[in-house]
Amino acid sequence: MSNETLVDVETLRTQVRDKYREVAEDPHGTHHFHTGRPLAARLGYDQAVVDVLPDRAVESFAGVGNPFSVRRIETGSRVVDVGSGAGFDSFIAATQVGTTGRVVGIDMTPEMLAKSRATAEQLQFGHVEFREGLAEALPVEDGWADVVISNGVINLCADKQAVFAEIFRVLRPGGVLQFADIANGRPVPIEAMRDVDLWTG
Amino acid sequence: MLEDSGFAQVVIGPPVDTFGGATGEPQARSFDVCGYAFLAHRA
Repeated sequence: MSNETLVDVETLRTQVRDKYREVAEDPHGTHHFHTGRPLAARLGYDQAVVDVLPDRAVESFAGVGNPFSVRRIETGSRVVDVGSGAGFDSFIAATQVGTTGRVVGIDMTPEMLAKSRATAEQLQFGHVEFREGLAEALPVEDGWADVVISNGVINLCADKQAVFAEIFRVLRPGGVLQFADIANGRPVPIEAMRDVDLWTG
Repeated sequence: MLEDSGFAQVVIGPPVDTFGGATGEPQARSFDVCGYAFLAHRA
């Protein structure tokens, strides 16, 4: 990961929003990545936990790893999910923190927020809420979170340093960041890194 | 970058073949792209 902003922030953001609108509205369509329950199984999520979630919570899942594989979140924790999509990881976190905890999912795509909010209402998960916002400007007060999770989102942000600074801001001292993302084992040519189409396609 | 941002005790999980069998697999293979889980603590 480089801290240089290689592409126009707004152009990339628009493309990402368009892509994930497609994933929200047509989760079984043709995408360059896996989605839904097959992806959750591929990434090693606990099938018993996934099985009880409604399709709307799972079908648009497009993560790249399993942030819960490195640590189970403690009961009663306050969690922020950066780029919560249709809420899949937020609902997994909600089952771990229980009703004494809180989960706040943040996403910039209205179609994803509509799905996640509908599922929270369906599940009667009063300890989960979803807010519209950007990873670089999280609508969460300083030091509120015990844990921040994210899955396949930071690689889609042009200014990763700004995202990590924002995560640092919302975490309490000693708080935990557990996230999943992609990394490349071979160097990507600079011209490819400046091609915004390759970030989402 | 995590440590530059004030995080410590960084742990990286094993690679996951995120794109295997997806249409994006050739592109991912060309740069050895895998998924990883990361764990870090705010200092």
